[in-house]
Amino acid sequence: MSDILLKRLLNLIPICILVYTMVFFLLRIAPGDPATAVLGDNATAEAVAALKAKMGLDRSLLEQYWDGLFDLLRGDFGRSLTSGLPVTDQILSALPYTLHLAFASLGLGLVLGIPMGTLSAIRRDGLFDHGSRVVSLAGLSVPSFVLGIVLMLAFSIHFPILPAVGGGKAGDPLSILRHLVLPATTLGLIMMAYVMRVTRNAMLNVLGEDYIRTARAKGLPEWKVILFHAFPNCLVPLISLAAINFITLVSSSVMIEIIFSRQGLGRLLVSAMRQRDYVSLQSVLVVYAMLIIAVNMTADILYSLANPRIRAK
Amino acid sequence: MRSLISLSASSALAVALSLAAIQPAEAADRNLRIAYDIGDLSGMDPHRASSHVDRAIAAMVFNGLVRLPAGNANVASAEPDLAKSWSVSEDGRVWTFQLRDDVKFQPWGDNPAQKLTAEDVVFSLGKAADVKRSAYSGEYAGFKFTAVDDTTVRIETPVPLSETLMLAKLMNYGGGFIISKAAYEAKGDGFAMAPVGTGPFMVDHLTPKSSVTFKANPNYFRGTPKLPGVELLFMPDVSARGIGIRTGELDIIEGSSEASWVSLMRRYPNVEVKVFGPGSASILYLNTKKPPLDDLRVRQAIAYALSREAVVAAIGPETAMPLYAPIPGEYLPGGLTTEEVKAAKLDYPHDIAKAKELLREAGYPDGISLEVIHTELAVMLRPMENVQAQLREAGIALNLRVVDHPTYHSMIRDDASQIVHYMAWRPNPDIFLSRFYHSAADITTGTKKDTNFSHYAAIDALVDEARSTIDAKKQAELWREASIKILQDLPVIPVFQGRTAMALNSTVQLGYDLNSNLAFFVPITERTDIVD
Repeated sequence: MSDILLKRLLNLIPICILVYTMVFFLLRIAPGDPATAVLGDNATAEAVAALKAKMGLDRSLLEQYWDGLFDLLRGDFGRSLTSGLPVTDQILSALPYTLHLAFASLGLGLVLGIPMGTLSAIRRDGLFDHGSRVVSLAGLSVPSFVLGIVLMLAFSIHFPILPAVGGGKAGDPLSILRHLVLPATTLGLIMMAYVMRVTRNAMLNVLGEDYIRTARAKGLPEWKVILFHAFPNCLVPLISLAAINFITLVSSSVMIEIIFSRQGLGRLLVSAMRQRDYVSLQSVLVVYAMLIIAVNMTADILYSLANPRIRAK
Repeated sequence: MRSLISLSASSALAVALSLAAIQPAEAADRNLRIAYDIGDLSGMDPHRASSHVDRAIAAMVFNGLVRLPAGNANVASAEPDLAKSWSVSEDGRVWTFQLRDDVKFQPWGDNPAQKLTAEDVVFSLGKAADVKRSAYSGEYAGFKFTAVDDTTVRIETPVPLSETLMLAKLMNYGGGFIISKAAYEAKGDGFAMAPVGTGPFMVDHLTPKSSVTFKANPNYFRGTPKLPGVELLFMPDVSARGIGIRTGELDIIEGSSEASWVSLMRRYPNVEVKVFGPGSASILYLNTKKPPLDDLRVRQAIAYALSREAVVAAIGPETAMPLYAPIPGEYLPGGLTTEEVKAAKLDYPHDIAKAKELLREAGYPDGISLEVIHTELAVMLRPMENVQAQLREAGIALNLRVVDHPTYHSMIRDDASQIVHYMAWRPNPDIFLSRFYHSAADITTGTKKDTNFSHYAAIDALVDEARSTIDAKKQAELWREASIKILQDLPVIPVFQGRTAMALNSTVQLGYDLNSNLAFFVPITERTDIVD
């Protein structure tokens, strides 16, 4: 177990270098450059050349590559080409909002989806099962931005109880929480659909096993059988789902961030891409790679906790 | 399991608490919240302002020597701002400006509010003239700035300029903004993130990709602003902005130029929609160096095949007007009005048969096909798709390659498109003509490459002469002559003048009449207020 973790940790540096290299060259293949993007209508040839020099883009490609790489390895994420602000600051101010949203959505999805999936599996083909599968299908099919706007119309306009704009005042936990409810519910309901299905399938598989029959035969009440014998064996696929969806939530949250005008990593990326802010993009994508590795490591730890057989390895 | 229960309980509690904490209608003494369609700022250095939001901010934080009064975009109505009076020498090349002596800069850091002096003006204009520190340096080529004393500034120009042209360079737009010399020297590149000017509002905090907040400047020379502050939010989604103004979370929002949006907003009881000009001139620049557009008959065919009325009808009558002249005389002296163009028989009225005949004459009986690189911005793409459909009827096929906006700006300057659809506004005809029609601005061969996408070179002499004509009437005549020549040679085809729509909550009192504005923003002045 610990050597799996160690291996993941050692993979961190080569993966980051690989991500940086790919992003570096792919970005420069795309037409357009940050100087023209910033100057827009005012992009006379003279102004563009002057701004490029200021941004350090008049150096040779290899020079830019090595300088960026050495900075990265020292932990310096550089300065945004468009704003001149340190990228680290930008990431640190956007990341909490994204993480709040991802955790809240994941939490909501799990809290709603697991009981629904379990109940569906227990009362297979009953009314609840059919009903919840339809709901789940709706959740899988509805695009997040449609659901987001519908919720916004319902709870910000027709019954104005929740705000529609912004991520809340920084440092005011109540304000942040209020502004989190609608976006988290939007993504959470969609997550719930996935969680419900996975739980149901896993639970159905497990409930057919011999040891469940044994537990029942021992005279245990049904809820104890489900909770202590069936459910723990459903954890492994759920952890996989949670890990993958967490990463997806962090990146695809950009739609929700735009609709609810929230700060976040997704919007940071899209904005940086629009402005061809090479430095921000490179650094944010490397941070992204690091986040994925971290999530995978957490998943590995959780696997071992959930499944003693993995722990013993 | 226990943790699941406690998690659910605490979440339920949180939701209950938030419902209990619903805010009542907010009091009048609060920040004005205004949302624009923008993803992020690249800084607030006024000499690098390019987007409408950059200009909106610059107008709040800075002043110029002269200004256009808020709500008025007619360059002829320039009035004193930081300068209280001015005079020009006999030869029209030496200007002397007398500054007000009661202007203070906004306080910054530990520094109290410092007095504005001629040194600051000379420094600012010098910076505006420096290509390394300004996007407007071309306007001040060859200018010399001197501080005669604390309240007097002398400006020497290489050629004599009319008052219209001179004041246009010194107004609260573009390079004319005056910044604090001390603050810029102390902050260097950091000035763009925390600028210091003399305007009614000062920058309080910038949250990248999210918002920028402003505080009222209590020392503003026109009086303490009525608003305690302004929050400018970056909201790229038009529906989100629309919802924000409906719920009352936003006071002013940038709209869209589509009539459907205007009529939607007008339906809400607490919302007022203002459509104002001049907006932007939407013009098709034809690449006259590449066949088939090197043939005048082909260019004329395109003009005849195009129905501006149809384009405007598709966008909406309030937010778009047909444009027949390279420079609309309705908004700028020296331009041509629609009547004048029609009187000169240069309006090329819609006539598909004539278009086909011209193509046949030019040797293209089966029509032509053109490669067009276009931006994805809806405000430009939708009219262009309309144009594409119209031209198809005359056998002119436009292959639209739609790319994102920064790519579009790059590629069109690489001479990659046979037609460049550009939407822009310039504050006076000299800038319009120099940057789009003078050979020096040619995108491939120009000495100061800019936006002459058509590679046009036939009005250089007229533009140069007009630039150094001091007599305003004669100058306007020369510009009109240039416009007529352009319409005869047809290196471009003007399509429509697109105006902006913005929505305001009815509790907002601007403090002035918003008739027009040089860019897509609503000026916020010291007199703007919220009255609940």
